[in-house]
Parts: sequence; structure tokens; C-alpha cells
Amino acid sequence: MQIRELLDELLTSLETGPLISAVRHFEARPAVFAPFPSSLDPRIVETLKARGIEQLYSHQATAFETAAKGEHLVVVTPTASGKTLCYNLPVLQALAQQPEARVLYLFPTKALAQDQLAELTELARSLPDMRMFTYDGDTPQDARRSVRARANLVLTNPDMLHSGILPHHTKWVNLFQNLRYVVIDELHAYRGVFGSHLANVLRRLKRICRHYGASPQFIMASATIANPGDLAQRLTGEPVVELTESGAPTGEKTFMVYNPPVINPELGIRAPYLGEASKLAARFLRQKVATIVFCQSRLSTEVVLSTIKKMVEDRTGDSGIVRGYRGGYLPLRRREVEQGLRSGEVLGVVATSALELGIDIGHLDLAVLAGYPGTIASMWQQAGRAGRRSGESAAVMVATSSPMDQYLAAHPDYLFGAPPEHARINPENPFILINHVKCAAFELPLGAGETFGGDVTAHLAALEEEGVLHRAGEHFHWSAETYPADHISLRTVTSDNFLVIDTTARDAKQAKRRQIIAEVDWKSAFAMIYPKAIYMVEGEPFEVQELHYREDEEKVAYVKKVVVDYFTDAITAKGVWILQRLGRQETPGLLAEQGEVLVAEKVVGFKKIKMGTLENVGSGEVELPQQEMQTTSAWLTIDPGLLGRISSRRDDLVDGLRALTHLLHSLAPIFLLCDIRDVGSWLGDGSPAQTGQVVTRETMRAQLLQGETFTPTIYLYDNQPGGIGLAERIFEVLPDLLARGLETLEACGCRSGCPSCVGPVNEVGRQAKPIARAILKFLVPRR
Amino acid sequence: MSRGDLAELTRIIRRIEAKSRQRPPAEPGRSPAHTLESLLGGEIEETERGGLLVVRRRFPVEHRHGAQSLRAARDAAPEALALLSRDGAPAEAHRLLYLDTETTGLAGGTGTYAFLVGVGFFDGDEFEVRQFFMRDLDEEAALLTALEAMFRRFDGFVTYNGVGFDLPLLETRFVLGRRRFPGEAYHVDLLGPARRLWSARLADCRLGTVEQSVLRFIRDQDLPGALIPTVYFEYLRRKRPDQLPRIFEHNRHDILSLAALTGWVADAVVRAPVPDLDPEALAGLGRLLEAADPERSLACYRMALDEGLTAPFRERVLLRLAQGEKRRARWEEARALWEAVIAAPREFDPRPWEEIAKVHEHRRRDLAAARTVVEEALALARHHRASDRVLAAFEHRLERLVRRLDRALDPRDAAQPA
Repeated sequence: MQIRELLDELLTSLETGPLISAVRHFEARPAVFAPFPSSLDPRIVETLKARGIEQLYSHQATAFETAAKGEHLVVVTPTASGKTLCYNLPVLQALAQQPEARVLYLFPTKALAQDQLAELTELARSLPDMRMFTYDGDTPQDARRSVRARANLVLTNPDMLHSGILPHHTKWVNLFQNLRYVVIDELHAYRGVFGSHLANVLRRLKRICRHYGASPQFIMASATIANPGDLAQRLTGEPVVELTESGAPTGEKTFMVYNPPVINPELGIRAPYLGEASKLAARFLRQKVATIVFCQSRLSTEVVLSTIKKMVEDRTGDSGIVRGYRGGYLPLRRREVEQGLRSGEVLGVVATSALELGIDIGHLDLAVLAGYPGTIASMWQQAGRAGRRSGESAAVMVATSSPMDQYLAAHPDYLFGAPPEHARINPENPFILINHVKCAAFELPLGAGETFGGDVTAHLAALEEEGVLHRAGEHFHWSAETYPADHISLRTVTSDNFLVIDTTARDAKQAKRRQIIAEVDWKSAFAMIYPKAIYMVEGEPFEVQELHYREDEEKVAYVKKVVVDYFTDAITAKGVWILQRLGRQETPGLLAEQGEVLVAEKVVGFKKIKMGTLENVGSGEVELPQQEMQTTSAWLTIDPGLLGRISSRRDDLVDGLRALTHLLHSLAPIFLLCDIRDVGSWLGDGSPAQTGQVVTRETMRAQLLQGETFTPTIYLYDNQPGGIGLAERIFEVLPDLLARGLETLEACGCRSGCPSCVGPVNEVGRQAKPIARAILKFLVPRR
Repeated sequence: MSRGDLAELTRIIRRIEAKSRQRPPAEPGRSPAHTLESLLGGEIEETERGGLLVVRRRFPVEHRHGAQSLRAARDAAPEALALLSRDGAPAEAHRLLYLDTETTGLAGGTGTYAFLVGVGFFDGDEFEVRQFFMRDLDEEAALLTALEAMFRRFDGFVTYNGVGFDLPLLETRFVLGRRRFPGEAYHVDLLGPARRLWSARLADCRLGTVEQSVLRFIRDQDLPGALIPTVYFEYLRRKRPDQLPRIFEHNRHDILSLAALTGWVADAVVRAPVPDLDPEALAGLGRLLEAADPERSLACYRMALDEGLTAPFRERVLLRLAQGEKRRARWEEARALWEAVIAAPREFDPRPWEEIAKVHEHRRRDLAAARTVVEEALALARHHRASDRVLAAFEHRLERLVRRLDRALDPRDAAQPA
């Protein structure tokens, strides 16, 4: 059956039709071609023609010409638009014409580098003397020397460049002396912490190139985000030409939003979205429509996969046509799935965003998004996985019951019309910057007046005082026995992780075994693996026996397998204090500020919650140290006069403000290319007495109720130490954020709060929603 | 946070650093009672890239380092050195530079400095140890200039683990300083021969261990190598040079040991086999000589056995001897040696069993004997839980032997147990 008919059936059936809350149709767009540039090496033209390519898409030709002019560029085009030729053509041209030229490719993952090597090898077949190699953690030790000596094109990742190449630059003299191009694909992946690190790694790269007298040109490619040019400039520190016009054709495409039916109107509970997504996918798979399902977590991938397998099994007798694909699968299994998808042997795949990146899996007909992937940019990326250059394709997004998803289901204009988010990075994050100053000094002594992104005089002085740098004459030299890059991970701000070790077997056999079952980062450790906590791994409960966190000991949690019918939820005490005010904006009823804050958290106890019924079946106390973090935040203080007019009851007002905090926090990621956990929130007091004294939510509530003055303040802070630019953005978009909040409350059908707006009514209080709404009504100017 | 003020940064960095290091609080620097030159007995030398401290010490060739004089190294026969180097024979032994570096760490990469480079060389009847020292990290250009000139005067290097450490590190420094490092120069790395000669007898093959046991040289209050970076950093930061002489002495002893040991080994490979050596060293000399001089190699092995070489080295030598006999097609001699190996109580080793079975089967044409050997080997292999691959090989061999025996024997005999 044609996909068109299946979509019509979905829209018109009595069962599913009313659940489709939005449909958008995107017309097919024809290709815009351009002839091969006259300067393009005839051997490359030959190879392209042999592969059936008779002319280029316009953006490929423009990219070639821009590169030829010597400009840095970023190409922004949709999935499957032939963007790799945009960088492969200038690169192969350079290698074909200058035998001594060298090129470096950076991909966020090893798998992408492997993929691209295969493609390049094919393309460069008729060119002489192409020596292209990947160089990463998988490269055998004995092969590394030969790669360094021979390669004229090296494909690697930022982590390897950071810890394996730059600190050994003398072994790569040939590469750095002759580095012509640096190609960075999947640019949008370099945001937040990873991007802030990469910007610094590129500062180091440029510094080493300068030392050897080279100044490479950057060619970048990105999926659609709001600020590709800006991100590219921030990452490379160079002016960058932005190319956004794609000449590639696209087929007809339909995008639908599917909102699961409400099964409990009073509590605002909807049918589980994973089940609905599975049903939809199975429905199309049974009709032999090639389908990809995107899930938000590894766990939901497994759940959806097994549900779909059961659904398609009874018809086809075999469920092998549907496979899973997620991080944690071994590379061999992943390659097998990719191959199966390309050959058509595999009809359906259930994946996490691991498949969002440019892995080649051929073309599919339908993408089912189980939940809004968190960002508009990601949504288009995932939807773009279904799509052919000709012929029709479709994407269906199944909404979850979160405020974000429900807002989008109710406001499809926003969903389809909104520009994608800004990718934010903060290369000046002090923790990140200082670490790269150390690495830079290790690589080459830093001159006393030398800049590194900006002025780093204070950093150098501080590092000298600490004894890791030593000033001799006009230079700061690395003066420690360590190898700094080894201790710095590009994927986190600070690098301490806890190992979770299963001791179940040890008890049985008295064997000294270290069965490591998981790793937990420092920040989440105290909230997840406190003593007596239940820690789940692949659905199996483990109880934490001991947690070792002292400075001088190895960071480990010893756990034991247990049979329990409850899980644990940490009770956290928190405090947020303003350290420095950097920005301020006053509007009627509201003082919004932005600056640096100190966030302190301490796990003080836990609740035991019964699985299934979610009843509270017990509790416990925990003795753990307080964790403190300096970061950036935006905060809102609402005029006490205004609050007084809305209600005379402080307790109702506190409930309303709490609800508002929850709402703004869950909607903030609309404006940021980030995960909801990258932002933290807290309703505190604007004029706190004791800095450093953390309190639980309940105590905070009591304090607000009893305080002499009533100055409640809503903090929305960046959850990475030092901040990665999220708080500044929240401060910028605050008026829009408040407006989205009001729209969400008004569109939500519940009476006094549900999981889709301010939170479940039994948690937030009866008055929370009306008060939050009243506050927002006042703060948001009428249109 | 924007770029914060100094105090805040210091606090941040302190926390980042706290994990890995602990440093006593800085003491007020005492000004040294005398200059660095007089303390270390050296002088400042100027190069076109600035000055550095050079310390020279000369020793007569008769100087005894422990029990060994330096003369043997100077007079070493090029053919003897050829046994110790991948590069073959040097033109002349006395045109080699004995080299050892002291560095700011073992981490490698571009942030590790060689702050003291010591070289030793023969000059007529004297051996000079010359040490080049960076008084501060900005004297590296001067150090490299001085070294480059020094290296140009010699044909090659003698080091201890230079392949793995000193030479690549110096090459990194030279490349950083935009200078050409003579990486292709002739090189003797004594670590390899030392392992052959002494790993059987010594707990480890570090230079300190070897010099004590072989050269009988005992260092007095030696500064442990692991502390050297710390001492140098302390000197840099507090300008307190009082511990520096210990680094210089440590380095000087390394170079003297290197020369003495070269002499010892060159001498031994020429004289071998001689009974004043211990059996393990004789076995090692056998290995060193195997390719170049097979007859003397065998003689070394035999003498090692006569001198009472013990397990498991005895069996290793027996195997190598057997290998030599096999190469000469002296099957019975080889078989006797392999049988001596399997007679010794030790870990199960399939190789001699296999070889004995092959001699029975192919040379002596005694299929029944071959079968008995293989059956015994298989039983032992199973008992010792040998790998599947080993078991499969024996099973395959046994199957074939049984088949051949069946074919060869009279059917009536075949029915009877072997």
C-alpha cells in the first residue's frame, strides 16, 4: 500500500483521526543544479561521472568556490542533501594538486570517521597518492607510527586531537606544517560542554599550526540550528561564511503530531506514549513501510522494540525485520543493522539519537518520534531520517504528557514555525578554560603577553602560583610531572566519576572481584547512589551498601543485588545565593536579573516508593557532604505589591510561584539547544540570611511563609559548574519564555494542575495553577 | 562567569589540583652561599642561543667503576659491539657517545623537558663526563645548541633504554627547538643485551640493579630517579640548589656505569665461553652469539649446563641446543636433548613432545614409538588443561598415526592392543 493511503487512513479513522492534533504538508522541491567548477580536477570529475553524478547541486558548487577563495565556511543543509561533497571536493582538489598538503577531519564519534573514510576512499580512487587513515582510540599502537609518517588525510575526533595528537605535535610535524584544511562535520553536536571544550582545543590547534607556520582553512557542516555561522565563529575564532541554500531536491513530506488519548480526564492522564508510538510503527511496518522510531532513552528504545516485535511477529512469523540501535550496542551489531537498513533486509529500526548523526542508513519512508526530542533542531534531524529525493515520506511525532510536548501539540504553528534553537557554548567557562591553558602550556610554553582566546594573564599567574607553570624569562613553561590532557575529558566540566561495583558475587564466593556495572558522574552521585539507595541497571534493582567519596579514596559505590518492590527517591536540601549581579531588566511587576550564583545541594534522606502504586512506604536519613557549585543564573523577583493584589494568602502564593518555577524550567529548553537536566531551578528567598545553609523544599516553604519580608525569587540556573551560556540566553528570552508559559496554562484543559502544565495537582496544591496563571497574565503584555 | 579575578581563579585551580598533588608551603628562598658554578663545579658556557651550565669531569681509562675499568669500553672490538646493536658494527668504539638524560617526568609528550643531559666520551687515555644543564627552562635553546655541536663530533650513541626513552625525548626537544636530531645515528641500547644476560638472575634489569651485581659498584646515598623531577622543580621555584649536586652525581654514575658495562659485555662476548661467568650469563651470551657465531654459542650453552644452570633456564637452553642439532639434521642428538627437557619436572610444554614424535615417525620410522609418545603427551596435556589448539594438534597427530599403523599392520595384530 502507498504511504499516502496509509496516512489518509490514519487521519480519517474514527479511532486515530481525532488524536492527530496537527498536519503539515511540505511540497516536493526540485533540484537546483550547477555545472562542475572549471577548476575542479578532471580526475575527480571523472570519478563523479563514473558514479553517475553529471553535475553538482548548487550548494556543493558554491561551497567549492567559497573554499577556493580561501574563506572559512560552514554549510548548513538538511539530511541527505549531499553535504559531504561540500567538503570532500575542496579537500580532494587540494590533495590532488599539492602532494605535500595535509588535511584533518574531525567527527564527534569514531563510527562517523569510519563511515566517511569508506566514502572518501571510493571518491579518491582515481587520484594518485591518497593516504587516508583514521587515527583514534581504535588505531593499533604499531599502526600509529605509520599513520603519522604517511597520512595526508587524517580522520579523528576532538578527544583524540586533544589527548593524543596535540600533546605530541612534534611527531606530527608534517601534518601541522602543511595543514591546508580542517574539516569539522556535525558542527551542531559541539554545543554546551563539548562545544566549549572544542573551541579551546581549536585554539590549541591553531596555536600549534602557527608555531609550524601554517594557517589552515576551516570547512564545517552542520544540521539546521538557529546560529550555525555564529557557532562556527565562536568555535574557530575566525570569520566564517555561512551557506544555507540547499540545491538538493526533496520529495513530498507529511508531518503529523499525534497526541495520545486522555484516559483519566480528572487527573489529566493520557495513554502511555511509548505504547501509542509502538502501535503506530507496527501499523505501518505491517504494510512494509520502512520505518524508524526515535526514542528518548536507551531504556525506552528496548521497551518500544520488544513491543513492536511482538506486534509484527504474529503477521510475518518473524520479527527480525525490526532491529534496535542505541549507544551501548557493540560496533559490530551496529554495522550489521546499518548494512541491513541500506540493503532493505531490515525494514524497521528503533533507535536513540545515536542514529541522528550522519550515519548512512539509506532512505526510509516513515519516522515515528516517540516524544519531542527536546529541541526543534533535533526534531527536524530525526524527521529528516525519513525522506527520499523523490517520492513521498512522512513523520509522526507522538507527544508525551510533559508540559513541553503538550505545549507543542497544542501550538503546532509554533512547532512548525519556530526557528531552531541556538547552540550555546562558553569557551570562557573558567573550569574549562583553565584546563586548556594548562594543555596549551604543555604543548608550547605560553608567552607572558600571549592571548588564548582572550587575555589569560590572571590564569597564568594563578597556575604559576599553584606550581604547575613556571615562568622563565618571557614564557610560562609546564612544570609538573603529569600529562594534563589525560585528566581532562571533553565531555564533562569536571572529570571525577564514581564506579558502581557489584559485590553480590563476592559475598557468595569470597572472591575479590571488581564487577563494575555502571559509572555515575560526580554531580549526580549523591542523589543516586547514597547508602541504602536502590540503583537500577537494566531493570534490575541493586542496593547501595557503601559509598566512598572522600578526597583521598577511590570514588566507588559498592552495591548488592536485592529483591525489593520499591525504589528510592532522594530528598535534597538546596540553596542558591547571588554572588554577582551582571545584568538587570525591570518591567512592570517584575525584576529580572542575571549573574553568578552559588548553588549548594545536600542529600539529607530518601523516600521509599512502591513500584506500580507509587505509594510512599518508608524513608531513611543519609549523612553526606554538601556539594557546592558556582555557576551562572537568571532570576526573577516578582513585585510583592503585585503578589498582594493576586492573593492575600502567602501559602497559596508560594504554591503558585512553585508551580511557575516548574513550568518555566520545563519550557526553557524550547529556547536552548540543551537537555532539561542542563538547567536547574529553585524557588528561594531574594534576601537570604545565612549563605551556605541548605534547606529542603518544605523548609523553604515554611521560611517563605514565616519570613518578615516576602521576597520569593525564582532561579533558573545553568547546571554545569561555571556555566556554558544557558543562563545568559534564558535572561535574553525571558519575555518569550513567560509568554510560552501563559499559553501553555491557557491551552491545558485541566482544572488545577496536571503533569502537562504545573505538575500533578496533589503535589502542587489546588490554588497553584490559578495563581501561576494570574501572575503570568500580569507579566505578559497583551498582544 | 566571565574571566574572574585572580583570587577566585586561584581557588578554583587549587581545587582542581588538590587531587593529584600535595606540596609543602613555600619557604622564603635562601640565597645560596655560593654560585651554582662553584656548587656544581662547572662553568657557564655561552652559545649563540644564550648561556648554560656545563660540568666536566675527567677520569683516566684505568679508572675502576666498581670492579670494572673503563679501558675495555674504549678498546672494544667493533665486531663485539655488532652483537649488541641493530645497526651492526661501529667504525670505532671510541667514537661513540655515552648518553643519559634527566627529565622533568616520564609522561612523555611535548611538556617533558630534559633539563640535564650527560654525555661521556673517550679522549685519548681519559674518559670525560660532560653534563649540560638548564639553569632555568628558558635555557633549552642554549642546551640544544650545545648538544647539537657535541653530537656532530661523534658517530653514535650508547644508552640504557635510549630506544624507549632518551632518544625520542631528545628528538621531541630538538624538533620543538627547530633543530635536526641525528635520529638515524649508530646506536647501542644496552638494555636489550642486559635483559638477555641477566633477566634470568636479577629481580629486574634496571641499570642500578645490573651495576651492583655485575660491576660490583655500590652507590653511596644515591638520589632515587623518581625524586629527580621534584628536586629540579623545587630548585626552579625556590632557587634552592642544595640538592642539585645529587642529581649531577646520579647522572654521572649512570654514564660511568654505561661505559663500564659496555666494556664488560664487549669483553665477555669476545672471551666467551669462560668458566668465571655464572651459568645464566653464559646462557645469555649463547643467545647473543647465536646468529653471528653458532659454534661459540653452542659452547656457551654447553658450559652453562656444565656449570649447573637450573630450571627453567636449563630447559630453555636444552631446547635451543636441540634446535641447533635439528638444524644440522643430527636427529638422535636432538632427540636426547628434547627427552632431557620432558624428563624435567616443569610446566607442560608441547614442543619437545611434538618434536620427539616427529623424529620417531619421520626419521626412525617407528610408528608405534611415535604413538606411545603422542598418547603420553595427550594425557599430560589434558592433565595440565592445555589449550584446545594444543589438544587438537595432538589428537590429529594421534589419529593419523593410528590410521597409518592400522594400514601397516597385519589385521590380526591390529586387533591386539598396542
